[in-house]
Amino acid sequence: MTEKISEYLSILLSAAAMGYMIYEIDKRQRKMHQIFDVLGTSDAHLTARLEGMVERGELQPYTGMTLA
Amino acid sequence: MPPQTAVAEPPDTVAQPAPIPAATAKLPVRFRIFIVDTGWDSPAHRILCDNFWLLRELQKDDEIYVLGREKSVEYMRYHQARIGHDPILAVHDLAAINGKGINGFHGFRLRLGLLRTPGQALLALQNFCRFLISHRHSTRLEADIRGGLRREGVMGAIQIILEHESRAMVSE
Repeated sequence: MTEKISEYLSILLSAAAMGYMIYEIDKRQRKMHQIFDVLGTSDAHLTARLEGMVERGELQPYTGMTLA
Repeated sequence: MPPQTAVAEPPDTVAQPAPIPAATAKLPVRFRIFIVDTGWDSPAHRILCDNFWLLRELQKDDEIYVLGREKSVEYMRYHQARIGHDPILAVHDLAAINGKGINGFHGFRLRLGLLRTPGQALLALQNFCRFLISHRHSTRLEADIRGGLRREGVMGAIQIILEHESRAMVSE
């Protein structure tokens, strides 16, 4: 009986540890995606706006060595 | 008598670094880097300003477009959800844009303003530069980015768990 209980307990603890690991990985990945993410279809209008500014000559390649 | 060691005096003012002469021929432009920065008085803004010349030198094969304060504010008024995320460095991958257009993967973006400490912002900027240079010729840029993000997530989680465990062991 005691053996069964300790077996269940170790399974429960392992599951909890695994769950925590998955939770942390997911949290970190979501945070990373917020900081560094890919530009996709949902960003198309933003990209078009910036590329449009370049095409219209409103933006020129920056040649300065410092930012104001 | 031991020989005197010559020690150069540090300059009184921070000298403007001279442009580093190009060692190799200019490569075709792969990336267009857009910098959106409204100028919040934040660690990320200061890190970007302090290190911009180095970013400029490291990415001299690519085009950098700085929106300037006025255009950046206009941009943020249009995209309110991104207020406070700047400085934002958006990289357009011309290889992807010229190939499949902008509907689908076409670049990546670093929201530097989300990083709250100078150390975090500097590290992110360094990683960003490293990534750009090392992936200039990548033919599978999207997969490289997504793979990198997955790895970072897993490594970060393991690091947090290890730190948590070591703290628990110390407190016991």
